[in-house]
Amino acid sequence: MLKELYLIPVAIYIFSYIPLLFKKEKKMYKLFLSLIYTGFAVQTLIFFIFLSVKGLTVPVHIDRFVFFNAWILMFIVVLFGLFYKAEYILLYITPLVALNLLVGFFVPHIHIKPDILNTDRTILLTHIVLILIGDSFFALAFIVSLIYIFQERKIKSKKNLKILDINSGRGYNLELLDSINYQCLKIGFPFITLGIVMGIYLSGSLFRTFIIVKPIEIMSLITWLIYAVLLHERVAKGLRGKRAAIFSVAGFLLILFSLSFSFYLFPSFHGFE
Amino acid sequence: MDILIVGLNHKSAEIGERETVSKKLLTVELRQDYTYKLLDLKDENGRPFVKEVVVLTTCNRSEFIMNLSSCAQGKGGHIIKNYIAKYFFGDAAEENIFYMYLNEDAVRHLFSVASSLDSMVIGEPQILGQLKEAYNEACKFKSSGRFINKLFHKAFNCAKTVRTETRISASPVSVSYAAVELSKKIFNSLEEKKVLLLGAGEMGKLTIKHFIKYGVQNIYIANRTKENADKFVEESFAAAEREYLKVMDFSEYYKLLPQSDIVLCSTGSEDYVLKYADILPVIKIRKQRPLFLIDISMPRNIDPEINKIPNVYLFDIDDIGKMIEGNIEIRKQEADAAKEFVETAVKEFMNWKESLNVVPVIISLRKKVKDILEIELSGYIGDKKEKDLVINSLTNKILHEPTMLIKKASANPEGANSIETLKALFNLDSEDLTGTDKRGEDENVGKYIKLIK
Repeated sequence: MLKELYLIPVAIYIFSYIPLLFKKEKKMYKLFLSLIYTGFAVQTLIFFIFLSVKGLTVPVHIDRFVFFNAWILMFIVVLFGLFYKAEYILLYITPLVALNLLVGFFVPHIHIKPDILNTDRTILLTHIVLILIGDSFFALAFIVSLIYIFQERKIKSKKNLKILDINSGRGYNLELLDSINYQCLKIGFPFITLGIVMGIYLSGSLFRTFIIVKPIEIMSLITWLIYAVLLHERVAKGLRGKRAAIFSVAGFLLILFSLSFSFYLFPSFHGFE
Repeated sequence: MDILIVGLNHKSAEIGERETVSKKLLTVELRQDYTYKLLDLKDENGRPFVKEVVVLTTCNRSEFIMNLSSCAQGKGGHIIKNYIAKYFFGDAAEENIFYMYLNEDAVRHLFSVASSLDSMVIGEPQILGQLKEAYNEACKFKSSGRFINKLFHKAFNCAKTVRTETRISASPVSVSYAAVELSKKIFNSLEEKKVLLLGAGEMGKLTIKHFIKYGVQNIYIANRTKENADKFVEESFAAAEREYLKVMDFSEYYKLLPQSDIVLCSTGSEDYVLKYADILPVIKIRKQRPLFLIDISMPRNIDPEINKIPNVYLFDIDDIGKMIEGNIEIRKQEADAAKEFVETAVKEFMNWKESLNVVPVIISLRKKVKDILEIELSGYIGDKKEKDLVINSLTNKILHEPTMLIKKASANPEGANSIETLKALFNLDSEDLTGTDKRGEDENVGKYIKLIK
């Protein structure tokens, strides 16, 4: 029954885009932001209701984790938006969050491995949470990179260059977008790495071998490798700008692909029943 | 109570004529002196024409915004305009140099000026500040009163609405401003960025001034003749600005290239000063940090191929010119939307102004009712204080509804008949309505402006 609650923030998020259809741009943009924050407050409230009712434990329905993913993504974006005074990112990331919530609503009732040991349950839970947090940072990096590529192209080609777009605070600049991208990578990478390490441990514990060659594991490792190379290039060689943005986009597309591959198309590939 | 604006601007007068006027209004003392001259302007019976006045002078316009007294109705406006023209140009004054706007047209003109719709560059932000300065001066000279206060506050309000609700001043329309705005699209903060200026020209000077205004603190200037660069800095920049400028030898500029974030090129060289091969290693040393190159020289001094290098952004004078053209077009489109806001504000102000015309009727009506109550109640209440209290209270209660109706009637043209009927019913003759002395009138007007609000 609680699953229906997911639709409340989705409705608010969809509704928040309506003011942007009107002409009075600045006022409407402020209204849009207020509605988005309201949606996020509702989402947070629902998240804590879930925590207080059942807690975030294994076994649990997978939709709970999808909902958690949507919440942590929005939380990170709100924090980054406020810190970097670049709230416009909300404009682009909210559809992703709303989509996530809808996926949570429609997702089939898949239980995550109910029959495992208690210690493994904790590790499994940590594995999921770490991966989701890491993925959320990469999702933000993905959106920011797309904005970067678009903006960079506009500046390079010098076409359609209306200097100040609507809603553009000081945030719509290449340096800041690149910096946000880098921060996301720096913070998200340790989460993902730890998450994958725990995944490998669980694999060993559950399937009696450390590496079971399944598509999801190969893809996870490829994704991790992409981000590892990106981080190395950034730190050691000062890679930045468009190439870094393309790397981020590619990495996140692979995450999306492997997630949908494992959860929705072939759950057994990830060790689900 | 008529509003009159007499003035000249870039559309009505040549630069020489505008100069003549602005020279005579150059200092605060000159403006104060002329303000009092206008206030002293009287008709043949010694009654002053002008009650309030604000003098506005900018590089493109000089205007006198006035609230006229009742004796100036009719030909008063032309007399004042001729007086102003004669003061500045003597007998050789040409009739059409000065324009004249009265009442609604004057309000519309002032609101358009404040909203920067009447400026040479539509949407330029300075005019509002200049208008505020002119108004503050008038307050200091004590040449502004309630009416002008209301008029100017409404104008400021209108300008603010136009600025926030439209994108009239959102996009830059000068090369120097556009260069700064472009930098803000590439860099997050300009404060710690290094700017290198190659050459010492007028355009370079303006752009550097803009960069300083937006917080750049490290600016290096390299010119082929170092002495010329020193002279350029000395003559073109104020002492405070010079703190951020360093002149260097032209032969050494390339050493500074890897540290520079923005390079501005305006030399007189016929060849490329910066070539593709020069920048390629620079961007590697910079570890791909973005480099913004602005070429404002003609012929071009930066190889256009450089724009193909990743993280290097090159804009030449043509690119910026095209951008500005587009922005001017945007401003023109926005001006149409802005005019709607101005019209609404004009209508609101004129409604308020019209409602003031009924103030004498209300004063007179209250006086009539009070007089009747005074006579009737004097037999019953002995204490004066108590009696005044009762009379005031009853007057307010009796006249609350009629006052509201009078206010409503004043807002539409047909209301004049209702007001005439009211005057006839209560026998409010013209003496009652105009007989109050100036001080008394002002006090009452203030009181009833509150009532009408």
